[in-house]
Amino acid sequence: MALWEDGLSARKLPQQVIPLVIIFAAALAALIIARKILVPKTFGDLGYYRAAAVDEIASQPISYAGSKACLDCHDDIDQVKSQSKHRGLSCEVCHGDAAKHVEAPDEVKPIKPIGRGYCPLCHGYNPARPTGFPQINPDLHNPGRACMSCHNAHNPMLPHAPEECAACHRQIASQKTVSHHATLTCVTCHTVPDGHLTNPNTVLAEKPKTKDLCGKCHAQGADSPAEIPRIDLATHGGRYVCWDCHYPHFPEAAR
Amino acid sequence: MGFPLADIAPELHKIAGYIYPNEFELHWGLLIVLYPYLTGLVAGAFILASLERIFNVKVLQPVYRLSLLTALAFLIVAPSPLLAHLGHPERSFEMFLTPHTQSAMAMFGFVYAWYLMVILLLEIWFDYRKEFVVWSRERTGFKKFVYKILSLGTTDISEKALQFDEKVGRTITILGIPSAFLLHGYVGFIFGSVKANPWWSSVLMPIVFLFSAIVSGMAMVLLIYMIATMFREKTINMACINKLSELLLYAMIVDFSLEILDFIQRLYEAEESINILSQMISNRLFISLIISQIILGTLVPMASIIWARFGKVPDEMKRMLFFVAAILVQVGIFSTRWNVVVGGQLFSKSLRGLTVYKTELFGLEGLFMVMLLLALPFVILYVITRFLPPWSKSETQLSTP
Ligand code: HEC
Ligand code: HEC
Ligand code: HEC
Ligand code: HEC
Ligand code: HEC
Ligand code: HEC
Ligand code: HEC
Ligand code: HEC
Repeated sequence: MALWEDGLSARKLPQQVIPLVIIFAAALAALIIARKILVPKTFGDLGYYRAAAVDEIASQPISYAGSKACLDCHDDIDQVKSQSKHRGLSCEVCHGDAAKHVEAPDEVKPIKPIGRGYCPLCHGYNPARPTGFPQINPDLHNPGRACMSCHNAHNPMLPHAPEECAACHRQIASQKTVSHHATLTCVTCHTVPDGHLTNPNTVLAEKPKTKDLCGKCHAQGADSPAEIPRIDLATHGGRYVCWDCHYPHFPEAAR
Repeated sequence: MGFPLADIAPELHKIAGYIYPNEFELHWGLLIVLYPYLTGLVAGAFILASLERIFNVKVLQPVYRLSLLTALAFLIVAPSPLLAHLGHPERSFEMFLTPHTQSAMAMFGFVYAWYLMVILLLEIWFDYRKEFVVWSRERTGFKKFVYKILSLGTTDISEKALQFDEKVGRTITILGIPSAFLLHGYVGFIFGSVKANPWWSSVLMPIVFLFSAIVSGMAMVLLIYMIATMFREKTINMACINKLSELLLYAMIVDFSLEILDFIQRLYEAEESINILSQMISNRLFISLIISQIILGTLVPMASIIWARFGKVPDEMKRMLFFVAAILVQVGIFSTRWNVVVGGQLFSKSLRGLTVYKTELFGLEGLFMVMLLLALPFVILYVITRFLPPWSKSETQLSTP
């Protein structure tokens, strides 16, 4: 029994073409039908996405109230916070979404992040954070006690000014401790005004400007311990300052 | 939340220099190495078949059908590394429904479908149609049923109908060559057009991919032909494999020259990336690029083919040399894919540091998955040859000079 009888081939269409035409037509039809059924209605109206998604997202319940919403009832806290180092933080960064609380303050209470795990999300030591950002190592910084027993979250004034530069410049300090310059204190090279420890962003510490500083120890005739390696200050390094080639907090000399 | 550094500290010593945090782990692993390797084999095997058909290289007839079926078996498996890597294979059909014409990656479905449906399957069908009809009459039981379906209900095997088959087959082959170029050139294009990556971004990429594809496909067919003939206890057609390895050699010369050209161009241009790239080549990629790709995968097989083909060597020895060369070529081409895919992610976009790639053993992206996917085409090929024996035609034709 032949499916594609000679009746068709009489019309000069070779027999073997017929099933292929049928298969490809069926595949094409399947694609068209599938597109009709499966492609979401508003797809492509505005761009390569489903236009209705915009309305759907807009109609989702709002869970954050925004930073202004809290002022009506908690302006006392806002007053404190807006004078503090945390002035840039929105209330809901720490308290979580609070739209429901604004609607029914007595029934729904926002979370209060009092565990030791929370603050290190921003303050845990991480070399990628900017220079001078207050960072601590949570395992070493007063372990076992809640952060809030010493710090006020709304006004994180330090109980006293940090004693060490490492408090804010840990990356530099820890690099220096394993370097050839481990024995040098920071103030050997930097002049640090008192205010820098409390207001680092407005009162800046000074950075060395000339290579004479390094020469105090490394120049040929310098009055310094004999084990310090010497260079000829006039020729070594040419017209560049020393720290164009040697990182001062971790000086290395290729040998 | 612990001390964040503590989590990755034990791994940090593997990094050299400076890298961005999101460059520590590679996102494209072994599976993505496998994908261009597989599509390369497809394109290579198909181009080999086309050579026989269009340029009438008659000595290659014993491998004509075999290379078509090899291409088919590898093409069936080719998208699976991508599906496993992306996850959610059930969503993959959506790229047909909502085609995104500006995204090269999103057009993969169409490139693939065109090549599979319009080129490969059609060419194979027209080539085997006569046999399907004959077998559907002669065989019994299950096989009869299968051949009935495969013949798609056609019965006409008159001289005229077969001539028509032949004509259509040729036309498809002619269409097929640019399509095979498209399939693998496309894969190279995807890498070559990543502007931000100096290791990938190169107009030569599609062409280098293409020639390495031809090399790998030819070597693979040579391998399969030799092994299959051995298991079938038939004799290997020496004229055929002589010609095949000669063509392989020429393809390798072109491929290698292109890669050297690319390399010299980079060295001479000496863009800002050159320092980190040469560090990468001399440290991270030394084994896979210098040893495995260039020496073992290119120079040694070229030497052994030259020796076997043009030297005075007994047939026994020749076969050994061809066989070893074909295996080494596979190792080399796999390394090539590795060096492109993994190499492109080893150096930092800051051009100041290198990370490392750690292969996993288990899991969707692991070594075992890759071995499974590598074995799968051979299983498929075995099953296909049970129903579509690629030898019969060539063997009968050869016995009647
Ligand atoms: C309509 C007035 C109102 C607004 C607006 C409001 N709160 Fe309150 N909030 C209250 C009242 C009332 C209490 C309960 C005071 C008490 O129990 O002592 C409260 C308590 C809290 C508490 C303490 C919960 C506890 O468990 O002790 C937090 C935290 C808080 N509010 C945060 C917020 C934040 C953040 C916002 C802004 C998104 C906000 N509130 C806006 C009225 C308000
Ligand atoms: C840096 C994180 C942080 C931010 C920002 C913050 N809070 Fe708090 N807040 C806390 C923590 C932690 C507590 C719990 C203090 C405790 O229990 O000692 C708290 C407690 C409270 C309480 C409970 C009453 C109290 O004083 O202990 C209220 C009310 C409150 N916050 C409102 C606010 C509002 C309003 C803002 C924004 C103006 C705000 N908070 C911003 C961390 C924060
Ligand atoms: C969303 C990030 C964030 C969170 C969470 C956060 N802080 Fe801060 N913290 C800051 C920023 C920003 C500063 C200001 C840094 C500066 O001045 O350079 C700061 C400053 C501080 C300072 C330094 C004040 C000074 O005088 O140098 C302390 C102490 C502090 N925060 C404690 C806390 C405590 C305790 C918590 C947990 C309740 C907390 N922070 C949670 C972002 C955060
Ligand atoms: C025993 C009291 C105490 C506890 C508990 C405590 N701190 Fe402190 N913290 C201090 C003092 C005192 C300083 C002042 C500088 C110093 O001594 O390093 C300080 C400084 C800081 C600083 C500023 C970095 C710097 O040195 O300038 C941050 C940030 C900080 N603490 C965060 C935290 C966090 C987060 C926690 C909870 C995980 C916490 N502290 C727990 C007493 C405490
Ligand atoms: C309370 C945190 C804190 C402490 C403690 C601190 N610094 Fe700083 N330091 C900063 C911050 C924040 C900056 C970044 C200021 C800027 O770039 O605007 C900074 C910047 C600097 C700079 C660079 C100034 C520049 O021009 O770029 C030097 C040098 C410096 N500090 C040295 C020191 C030395 C030395 C100590 C110890 C005696 C110290 N700091 C202690 C927070 C601190
Ligand atoms: C051997 C001298 C020397 C010592 C000791 C030294 N510094 Fe510096 N520091 C320099 C020089 C020089 C620069 C300027 C580098 C530049 O401009 O590239 C500098 C730059 C800095 C900067 C700003 C640039 C940066 O690298 O982030 C900071 C912050 C800083 N030092 C902090 C410290 C702290 C904290 C210590 C002690 C732990 C310290 N320095 C110890 C010589 C020194
Ligand atoms: C107060 C003295 C002092 C000053 C100032 C000083 N250094 Fe040093 N330097 C030392 C000492 C001590 C060593 C360690 C010698 C040793 O290894 O025994 C050292 C070692 C070095 C080394 C050799 C590191 C190696 O690999 O052997 C270099 C480079 C260097 N310093 C550069 C500098 C530069 C640049 C400056 C200026 C920013 C500078 N030093 C300022 C005391 C100083
Ligand atoms: C142009 C880059 C460059 C500059 C600028 C430069 N150095 Fe060096 N320095 C080097 C190199 C490279 C070496 C290691 C090779 C050598 O010993 O000459 C080195 C070595 C050293 C050593 C170790 C010498 C020894 O015998 O171990 C010291 C100390 C040193 N430099 C200090 C300085 C000081 C201080 C300055 C600023 C006056 C400076 N360098 C400027 C490149 C530089």
